[in-house]
Formats: sequence, structure tokens, C-alpha cells
Amino acid sequence: MQMAVCPMFRLASFLFLMSSLSVSAEPGYYGYGKPASAEEVAGWDIDVRPDGLGLPDGSGSVEDGEWIYEEQCAECHGSFGEGVGRYPALAGGEGTLTDDRPHRTVGSYWPHASTLWDYIHRAMPYTAPESLEDDEVYALTAYVLYLNDLVEDDFVLDRESFKDVVLPNNRSFFRDDRPDTSNTRCMENCKDPSSIVITSMVAAPPPVQAAPEPVAVANETGLATYRKACALCHDGGIGGAPTLGDAEAWAQRQKKGISTLMANAINGFQGEDGVMPPKGGFLALSNEEVEAAVNYMLEQN
Amino acid sequence: MDDKSKKLAPAELNRRKFLMNSMGLVGGAAVAKTAMAEEAFLPPAVPSWTRSLGPGVLTNPYGQPSKFEAHVQRRNVEWLTADKIASISFTPLADLKGIITPSGLVFERYHAGIPEIDPSKHRLMIHGMVSNPIILTMDDLMRFPSVSRIRFLECPANGGMEWRGAQMEGVQFTHGMLSCCEWTGVLLSTILEEVGVDPRASWILAEGADGSHMSRSIPMEKALDDAMIVYAQNGEMLRPEQGYPVRLINPGWEGNTCVKWLRRLEIGDKPWYHREETSKYTDLLADGRAREFTYEQECNSVITSPSPEKPLSGKGKGKGKYWVEGLAWSGRGRIKHVDISFDGGVSWREAKFTSVVEPKSLTRFGIEWDWDGSPAMLQSRSVDETGYVQPTYAQLRAARGTNSIYHKNAIHTWKVNADGSVSNVQIS
Repeated sequence: MQMAVCPMFRLASFLFLMSSLSVSAEPGYYGYGKPASAEEVAGWDIDVRPDGLGLPDGSGSVEDGEWIYEEQCAECHGSFGEGVGRYPALAGGEGTLTDDRPHRTVGSYWPHASTLWDYIHRAMPYTAPESLEDDEVYALTAYVLYLNDLVEDDFVLDRESFKDVVLPNNRSFFRDDRPDTSNTRCMENCKDPSSIVITSMVAAPPPVQAAPEPVAVANETGLATYRKACALCHDGGIGGAPTLGDAEAWAQRQKKGISTLMANAINGFQGEDGVMPPKGGFLALSNEEVEAAVNYMLEQN
Repeated sequence: MDDKSKKLAPAELNRRKFLMNSMGLVGGAAVAKTAMAEEAFLPPAVPSWTRSLGPGVLTNPYGQPSKFEAHVQRRNVEWLTADKIASISFTPLADLKGIITPSGLVFERYHAGIPEIDPSKHRLMIHGMVSNPIILTMDDLMRFPSVSRIRFLECPANGGMEWRGAQMEGVQFTHGMLSCCEWTGVLLSTILEEVGVDPRASWILAEGADGSHMSRSIPMEKALDDAMIVYAQNGEMLRPEQGYPVRLINPGWEGNTCVKWLRRLEIGDKPWYHREETSKYTDLLADGRAREFTYEQECNSVITSPSPEKPLSGKGKGKGKYWVEGLAWSGRGRIKHVDISFDGGVSWREAKFTSVVEPKSLTRFGIEWDWDGSPAMLQSRSVDETGYVQPTYAQLRAARGTNSIYHKNAIHTWKVNADGSVSNVQIS
């Protein structure tokens, strides 16, 4: 509810802010919006802290986690948490932080196990965030800890056992204490010219030349949809997806008939090689856009 | 006409091709046309466009850049990330003027792509250690008193590919995770005043409505100082890429803390240590320890012309007088001085500021240079109002090693070659 505007109150509130002592003690001055109910907050309040605040009821075992991991995570993170391509590794790298090429993983670098629970729950699996049940998140967290040799294979994670999990690199972080350099503003004779050596160099870009004519793209909708929704898997073959330009793999799919292929792209499909989520997980796409994208991919063979 | 320029979209081409194309469009195409039919449009002849009518109003109800500027585009580096959904693109700094980055050229960083959000369906929830937890619609938010401020936005990984040595071809890729806009919105302190913060509260979790639910812990001190909840940039509503309909801006701080598609602010008494402030955005040092909550973007600068994209070669160039210009910025306040060296750091001359000098904003500098045609090493060195002087690579590496990924703000060197081409180099 909006409060009457009192000039004195405004002045007082202004001075209070100017002094930067703290937030004004007069909440609800504008009265905009609506109160957030406990139920509304509960639906969005998903965060978990290192002290365990935010962890829900439930539990999950390493054993259960292994099955879920193989199904939901291994495609990108690898069966042993080693990471596939540029997707992040989750395990390994212990003792490498001072190496020339450190290997940063949950076990070797992360300070808190709570981050693992929080992140899996908030953002994973990549193409379907917030789709896992709490027990599944517990199980996956337990399994990733197991992949890092931090718990035994019979470990079950819940709010209580969470308290005993301490990640090895927990004590290696410290608060920002920069600036940590102190250059000076020298203007003349700042160094010996003969001491200057080029230590690394990128070749200058090639000389100026005429721009090539733009290549016509017949199926612009298909190309745009492909880039937006399909390239994620079909560029590199993630999830068993036929790779763009792999004529043999696409010919296999076309054997079923073009209408089946289109229907599978729109409605989703579980094949021998992998899973095609409905519309690639981009449910806002129209059927026509999906079909244009399929046609685009077929045109590339 | 517009279709033709769209087809030049470089997303599927490699980085080298981008640079060739973009430079070709600037120089080569014009040269070729000039040779073909110079008499048709150069004096004393009168060109065709001066002897005819052009399209009328509303040909483009929302105007677009000239088709001759189609080479000015955001670009990416394919090998940096696994895919384009969780990735980054770079602002074409060499082609920009002044200090404001056009909204469509502000660098992009997504963790789960761009969510498509109907503003009438978006809500901002503020709860936790407050007396009045509330849910705001966009209409509610825009009723609060507003402020507009010009502030830079920079990814802390800007330049991170250069820690071990020169690696990227042009200024778009060495420094292009950087933009600057006029941002309009509500001070976070105004909202905190409205909800009534518990005096014991000291941290705020900011969370996005995208698929990654991007989240960062923000200290109460920053929230009460100058943090903004913004819904507009450069005079219009935010672009979808920039968090439409609402994002957080923490002036001078890591771009990653400026959570886009902002849906929730939780007030608490401890940091949350989420993925983007532990696994990522922490700075590993040579001794194996790591700095956390390294929020401030320290004083930095770069020369944007000449640069690999703006060489001193081509028709009508070569030795002679040049206006050397670039950008300087500091997350700790205003830029105080920018000095330029043409001899690899032996001697320096102070540049002029050619833009307004706002705190935590890009500042444009320029200086005249009479190039004698021999190879030269160009550097810029900025100083901010705290007295901090931009460090050398040697100083930065001595303090941190080469595995920090983030916050690389060393003095950058461009080598102008005898043929006028410009190379990215690092020197002792």
C-alpha cells in the first residue's frame, strides 16, 4: 500500500542514505508490488550454502548416482568425469594446481561440496535444467564425490552426511587483496632500448584483399533454427546425434521415411545411438521451424 | 539489401576469415570499385545518388546501420567454448567511436543461451533477511525513481588468452569482452530501503531467470553504494542479449556479477559460494592458492587504432601523420592519465582525453604521431584516480603466475611493421 508523501520523511530518508550508515528503517515507502508469500518464495528459492542452508529433505546413494550419471551426464562429462571435448572435467587433477597446466576439477579445485548440489540442481542437465528430483541431485552429488575418491562406494548423501564432506582444496582460497602490483609512471629513459626482445608474436593479419561474394543460403529459416537449437548436438555428435554433413548417418535416418524423421524431430525419439529430445529441447520452436532445420541438415549431405 | 548484409554473418566462418573479410570490405572492395568506374561518381562527374530519389520514411521503421558497415560485427573464437549456447562473443572495438557501445554490438556471454521473456510475465522477487519480502512486475519496477549512468561492462576473462603470450590476431579478440553503455534503472539501495533489510544482513544473492539460473553473491556494501537494477541501455529497453527485461549492473565490477534476466534477490548473512564464484571467476596463483571474490576490474587500456584491424597500410597510407587513439577504463573510478609509448616503453607521452571522463566508464584518448615508416612498438599505459598505474606483463606475472585466467590488465603492445601492417606482440 502506498504511503502518503511527506516532505519531511523524504528529506530524512534522503539524508539517511547520503550518510551511507545503513538502509533506511522505513520500508514500504513506495508500496509497489505485492508481498511474496512463503509458497511463492519456496518455488524459486533454490540456493544452497556451504553451511548446508537450503538443502532439502531427501537422500541419494553413490550406487543410484552411477545410473543417473551414465544416462544424464556422461555424454558431456565422460564416464569417469574426465570431460568430453571442451565440456568440463569433474574429477582428477589432484596435486596439479601448481603445475604449468593445472587441472581444475571438483576434487582438485572446488572449495565446497554444497556448490555441486546447488549447481546440478540449478543448471543441469545442460539441456533440461531443474528437471531432476531432489533425491537424484543427492545421488549425482554423491557419485561425483565418489568419482573424486572423496567418499566410498556405499556412501549415501543427505543433509546429515553432507556435514562430514570436506573438499581437499577448501583452505586454499583467500579474499581479494589486490592491488598486487605497483607500476610507476616513468616518462623518459624507462628502460634500455637494447634490452627489448619480442617474446611472443602473432603474425599480422593477411594483406587487404577484395571481399568474397556472399554465399546465398536457400533455407534461411532452417539455417537460423539449426544454429539456435540443433548445432549444440549436431555440430559435434553429442548424444549420438548424426553430425552435420555425415551423409551415411543421415541416410540411415532417412530410410524410415521423411515424415517419420520429421515427426521424431518434433516429438522426440529414443534410438539405438542416442536420444533426440522433442524439438531438440527448444519447445518454443514451431513445427515449421523444426522441419526447416531438418531440411537444412539434410541439404548439407 | 539487408538480406545481403545478413548473409555476411560470420558465425560459421573461422576467425582468420572474419578479419580478412572485414578488412577487405573496408579497403579492397572500395579500391576495386574505384578502379572500375572512377569517372562515374568522382568530381567533376556527379554520382547517380545525387541525381535521383532514395527510399522514403519508414523504409526501416527501426533503423539499421548502412550496408557498407556490415563488417562491423560481434565475433567469437570457436575453440574457446564447447558450443555457442554457453559461450562468449567479442565487441569490434577497432570500428567503434566515442565511448558508447551500440546496443547490438555489446559483447555477449551466456551460460544457457538467451531466454525469450515476455516482460508482462517476468517477476523480480526480493526476499530473505527483509521485513517486507516482495514480488515486483516490470511496471512496478519502473515506477521507482530512476537514474541513468554511463558505465563500462567487462568480462573478467577479457584478455585471458594472452596470459602466456600473444595469441589473438586483433583488438576485437585481445580486448573485446568490453563494452560501455548508458544504463537506466533503479538503484539497488532504493529497493533495499523499500523491503527493509535486517541490520545483520551482509550479502545478497542475485539470480537470473535463464536456464543456468546464473547466480552470484554480492556484498551489501556494493549494493548500497552504486549497484543498479537496470531495464534500459542507450535510451531503449535492454536487448535480449543483455538481460531483457531486467539485469543487475555492478559498476566497475566483473561483468559476471551483473546478473542478466534478473528474477531473484535473496538477502542473507554469508556468501553462497556458487559455481560462478568458486569453480569459475576465482584467480589461481602460482603457489596453488586462489583469490576469491575478485570483483573489481582494475585500470586498463588499449590502442584501438592502429591495430591489426586498422593497419597503416593500403592506398594513401604509409609514413606520415596519424591520430592514434584508444580506450582506457578503471573499475575503481575515473581515468587520470593515459601515456603512449612508440618505442616499446622506453619513453612516453601523455595522450589527450577526447570523451567525457566518467567514473567506471570507458574513456577515449588520442595522440598525434608522425610515423617515419620504420617498425615501431606502440603501448598505452593508464593511471586511475586512486594512483594505480596499469602494470607490465612482467609485474603481473611476477605477482600471479600465468594461470589466473581472469583480470589480465597488462600494458599491451602492437608492433607496427614497415609495411604498415600491425601485429600483436609481447616484449621483454
